Amino acid sequence: MRQQDKSGQAAGADGPPDDLDLAILGGIRDLFAAADPMPADLPERIRFALALRDLEVEVARLAARESQPVLSSRGAEQSRTITFDSESLTIMIRIDSNGDGTVRVDGWLAPPQRREIEMRTAAAPLTVVADDHGRFAFAIVPQGIAQLVVHPARPDPGGSGRSVVTPALVL
Amino acid sequence: MDGRGSVTTRAQPPERAAHIADLVGAARDGSQDALGQIVAELSPLLWQVARAAGLSTSDAEDVVQTAWLRLVSHLGGIHTSAALTAWLVTTTKREAWRVRAAGRKQLPVDDSWLTAMPDQAPGSEAQAIIDDDRRRLWSALGKLPSRCRELLRIIAFVPRPDYQAVADELGIPRGSVGPTRGRCLAKLRCLLEVDDAAGSKR
Repeated sequence: MRQQDKSGQAAGADGPPDDLDLAILGGIRDLFAAADPMPADLPERIRFALALRDLEVEVARLAARESQPVLSSRGAEQSRTITFDSESLTIMIRIDSNGDGTVRVDGWLAPPQRREIEMRTAAAPLTVVADDHGRFAFAIVPQGIAQLVVHPARPDPGGSGRSVVTPALVL
Repeated sequence: MDGRGSVTTRAQPPERAAHIADLVGAARDGSQDALGQIVAELSPLLWQVARAAGLSTSDAEDVVQTAWLRLVSHLGGIHTSAALTAWLVTTTKREAWRVRAAGRKQLPVDDSWLTAMPDQAPGSEAQAIIDDDRRRLWSALGKLPSRCRELLRIIAFVPRPDYQAVADELGIPRGSVGPTRGRCLAKLRCLLEVDDAAGSKR
């Protein structure tokens, strides 16, 4: 009786998978790959985000994301606000369209501090410095993939000496 | 995270494992190309880990990226393919829990995907048999306890030599009552056999 064979097998169920197990796992893989596939451009975004010169970085996680309609001379548009949290910093950015294929990014660091901030894009990176209130702005950023890198403070007494990096975003 | 480097697996086909270990070494030395190859190899698995945890697609994208960014500063302690896969799966899982705990938009973990099985267009007889197998597997998965289903969904995407390391990371320790890869597969095989028996009576 097959049912009994089954329970006999279940006793040693943590052994290596047999051929039927492997065939079933292959079937499960095919099902989920079809029903819930990874977005095709995700690996490219990940590779972009990982192309950092630095290997010792502090990762800022995406903590909140909002968009609200804004009325402008060009009609209704979306303004997006994104908050990232890392161990030492909170970074908040607001993204508004310039209406010409570029966006403006206004940002705040908390706690407020003067830091060099780099916006990596598919083109050349842009660099600004946050003021003593932690405010910074990139007036013209090409639309597309981008990542923020907050460089270590200089001098950096008691700091970690590491850059804070965000995931890659699509602006 | 210490000790991950010593994770061992049975029956590790040496070529793939050695290749991945080489890529990890090259990535540690700063090779973007090596890191890119690892990303291509393991991201589909991490996507399923995040989605199995009930995250929306945009949260899953963030969480998978975060896991990779975190890997960059941990490469120094990772030396084998199995250790790399296990570290990434565990980190993605933790990051997913973190997002869920923060109460961001989330989907119910269960059942949402059960309706997603697409109806196949009618095709050849051979295609009809394949479609029938897929439907039976889908329906048997739907009858599994959700923790078993999530475990098998993840294990199915793990490169074969790394099964044991990842199963050890995700499963409840041996000897306790809880879902393990072996137990969940045995349950699924029972369900498929019952379905088979019912089918042959028809």
